[in-house]
Amino acid sequence: MSKPYYNNPDAENLLEMRGVTYYYEGNKAPSLSDVSLTIKKGVKTAILGGNGAGKSTTFYHLNGVVKPAEGTVLYRDIPLKYKKKHRRELCSHVAVVLQNPDDQIFGQTVLADAEYGPMNIGLPKDEVQERARSALEQVGLWEKRDSNSLQLSYGQRKRLSLAGAIAMHPDVLIMDEPTAGLDPQMALELMELAEQLHHSGMDIVMSTHDVDLAYMWADEIHVLRRSEKIYSGKQEGFYSDRELAYSAGLLAPSMFQINTTLCGLRGIDPAPYPRTEPQLIAKMTPGADRGHLDIIKVEDAIDGSQVSELRGAGKIVGIYGTGTRKQITESGIGVDFIFGGFESCTSQVLKGRDAVIFCDPDCAEIMEKKAKELSEFGEPLDYSLS
Amino acid sequence: MMTLFEVRNVTYRYNSRQQRPSLDNITLDINEGRRTAILGANGAGKSTLFYHLNGIFKPKEGEVRYNGVPLDYDRNKLRELRNDICVVVQNPDEQIFSSTVESDVAFGPMSMGLPKEDVDERVESALDMVGMLDYRRRPSTQLSYGQRKRVSLAGALAVRPKVMILDEPTAGLDPQMAREVMELVDQMCCDGTTVILSTHDVDLVYSWAEEIIVLNHGELVYSGEPEEFFSDPEKTAFAGLCRPHTFSINSYVSEISGKEQTPYPRTNSQIVAKMAPEGSKGGSIRVVPTKDDMAPADFEGTVGVMGYYSKKTVLAKGIRYDYMFDALEMCMQDAVKGMDSLLYCDESMVNLAVDRIRSLERFGMKVEAIL
Amino acid sequence: MSEQTQMDTLAYSSRMLEWAPLGKLLFVISVLIVNIMTESILVPFVTLAIGLILMAYSTNFKIPFMIALAILEAFVILIFGAGVVSVNGDMSDPAIWDTDFLWMHFHMTETSFNEAWLILLRGTAGVAVMLSFATSTPIPYMSLGLKQVRMPVEVIEIVVLIYRYAFLLLERMEAMWNAASSRMGFNGKMTSIRTVAAIAIGIFIQSTNLSDKSQVALECRNYRGYFPVYREPAKTGVKWILVIIITSVSIYLFGMYTSDWVNMAELLGVA
Repeated sequence: MSKPYYNNPDAENLLEMRGVTYYYEGNKAPSLSDVSLTIKKGVKTAILGGNGAGKSTTFYHLNGVVKPAEGTVLYRDIPLKYKKKHRRELCSHVAVVLQNPDDQIFGQTVLADAEYGPMNIGLPKDEVQERARSALEQVGLWEKRDSNSLQLSYGQRKRLSLAGAIAMHPDVLIMDEPTAGLDPQMALELMELAEQLHHSGMDIVMSTHDVDLAYMWADEIHVLRRSEKIYSGKQEGFYSDRELAYSAGLLAPSMFQINTTLCGLRGIDPAPYPRTEPQLIAKMTPGADRGHLDIIKVEDAIDGSQVSELRGAGKIVGIYGTGTRKQITESGIGVDFIFGGFESCTSQVLKGRDAVIFCDPDCAEIMEKKAKELSEFGEPLDYSLS
Repeated sequence: MMTLFEVRNVTYRYNSRQQRPSLDNITLDINEGRRTAILGANGAGKSTLFYHLNGIFKPKEGEVRYNGVPLDYDRNKLRELRNDICVVVQNPDEQIFSSTVESDVAFGPMSMGLPKEDVDERVESALDMVGMLDYRRRPSTQLSYGQRKRVSLAGALAVRPKVMILDEPTAGLDPQMAREVMELVDQMCCDGTTVILSTHDVDLVYSWAEEIIVLNHGELVYSGEPEEFFSDPEKTAFAGLCRPHTFSINSYVSEISGKEQTPYPRTNSQIVAKMAPEGSKGGSIRVVPTKDDMAPADFEGTVGVMGYYSKKTVLAKGIRYDYMFDALEMCMQDAVKGMDSLLYCDESMVNLAVDRIRSLERFGMKVEAIL
Repeated sequence: MSEQTQMDTLAYSSRMLEWAPLGKLLFVISVLIVNIMTESILVPFVTLAIGLILMAYSTNFKIPFMIALAILEAFVILIFGAGVVSVNGDMSDPAIWDTDFLWMHFHMTETSFNEAWLILLRGTAGVAVMLSFATSTPIPYMSLGLKQVRMPVEVIEIVVLIYRYAFLLLERMEAMWNAASSRMGFNGKMTSIRTVAAIAIGIFIQSTNLSDKSQVALECRNYRGYFPVYREPAKTGVKWILVIIITSVSIYLFGMYTSDWVNMAELLGVA
């Protein structure tokens, strides 16, 4: 292998576009016009915009599939080059998961599809297999590896397309409308998976028009309107300018609308801005009796009798993480919340109930972080981790 | 209220080898003029159910009655039925098959054998309603996704059915388009069409439906008013769904602060009205029915526009406006904040707007609707 | 792939869109025939002029790059063909240029030289006339026009449906193509072949799904086995027939009258 071109591990900026303009063949009007934006490392970023605002053109620029007519794209502060070997190198750094999984599944079996990307890079056989296995395990499809990819349900195909991207071992994963077409529980599951991946160090960029989803998830947004970028930064700044949001065909997220209006009426500061249900509930009910939250790491197997004992004692039990969820569904252990475990359990805690969350070992930090975030919206959340 | 559809013990299998039927002994009623939603996760049997309503599928067991008469699966009778009941599928590409916008919209009325003038009039008014009149001669291959969605809706509108079944009407649409489609749905309801939505979007359903039908793996889980269903977390989780956020927030906050959960707020303005400190004074909304010879109102506050005819008129006259989509809810949110606003509104939708505005009073905030 | 969509866009924005499609077709065919009926080298100039004028009116000469490229390609092929004809003259005739190159023997005579010019000019004129038709008549218009000559309705409908779905599948193909290149699916020859095969299978499956679902959607819209035509394309009436006859006859007469006016070889001073 020759020396890698994109070698700048210390760069602060992950991806950057500088004055990028792009025209589709035969079109006079640009589909991107002088777009500049920076995606920082470790910052959950969403690219927001209405239908046809230029979101997909943007992410195809970021992974080097499309070459800008004017301007530059940079990965880790290094300008992209479009020769075959450079593109090959970039493809394993920046992966894309499309909205429609059918556009992205190229293998006949589940395993073959997961191996497709790594094999194309030309990795040795055992590495290909290893990557495919770990990717399929991460999305919970390893048991289905020999199934025909056509016979999977829509949700499973969506996860398979995600596995195909993870198997490239990218630093950045761009997800286009990640929850479109998924029913509510599957959407929660997918977002949990995204959270887990982000926590493991894979940066995730989302391209969406779902303002509620982006509000819940993203730290920073870049907003496109008719091929132009009109905003970059924190979400609250964008939605506070109601006319700007409205002109982009977007409405303020429900949480934001309810919070700002209520705070105005109650004469309190709208900041900190709640983004999830428990955060809003905590903020709007100060001084109420709260319960206690236990976070338990599931190191090996979840203990069914412990769960029923806890529930017998009147505690609410929820779970978080792909591994734990798989155990629960396979063992048939009854819990209160399989999906959206953290939000549902903490809402109960705010109501004065005691709750327990069983989570994957690598999710304990996510739980703690979320618990700390929730504490900012009122009294500190009483929780323990074991 | 008349019962429109009676579904009685309907069981359906796509083929005889299928172990678990796609619909399993379903019995339910759908009433005329009630906003009804069929709710369920992917693969729950939503589309199998609505394809029973227009006779695409014939139940293996049980029967479907329309206006009290069992469906007749004779070819000609089915045609008559489908002139009454229109289905708009989720993906417009499956439904548009003519090469230009107007010829696709004309397809329905022409198949009904209407005279040319009637067809012309219907095509024009349907395209006008979805805001695509300027695109009538455009080829359907050159439309964006949102435009295709509008054309597929116009195709159904032109048939002027008694019942309109919409499958995931807002899927894949950005917030603006989604609100526009829902406004169109409201407009159809006001014009006397019975609208049935099929979706897994709980927030959408909760803000819109009077009655929900919940399916899970071909079985009927629930049928009735939404609140009773969402109050049961186990049932909700079992059906692969989540609780709508307005419902969830209301139920937690009411419980914590020891208030009644009822009345249940369904929209953001309603929940804010309910949670607002006591004695907050709401603003007012002036509802102005749009007319051809209307002059711009002498008004300082924010201005919303609701209904396709009002939009057209306001744009043509160059009248100042702030909200062109989701205008009623936006005005209501302003009113909850104590601000006054004005709403230009299609005549047929005035009652709906006034009812919604006055609903805020139930949640403890008086907002005046001035006609 | 983008050529097809661009040609379609062009045709739909043409100023000649509403002209009777069948009339346009008959006009083009008759002009093409007359174009080669006489030996006059001036006729192709007339035809070319007709083609260019029509195309100018139809598209304002706003011809997209890809289509211009296609025209250029046709032109290169024409030049090559004409070149071959010009150096393959009758051996019994005196040569104006004669040489050996590798194993080939070039023998250019006055006749072959003139013939080559004629072919080149006729070809160019033909391309221009045909393009004026293609850039102003989308396929659905054409097929509806064929109804007038009693083309079976089934055939017309199949053409229209294929046309419609071709675009949808092209869209899908583009999406899959980009997705594949994001996963390095075109890295090396073997990989590319596998990828193209996978895309073909994917398109096939998506198209069967689409057709299944469309079938149901069609039924929901009360499809009765034919598509009623909302806006009949303009009929090819007496006016069209007259225009066609007058144009053809006058070009023909012009050709007969001028058939030996110009000798290219003499004109260019090579004889």
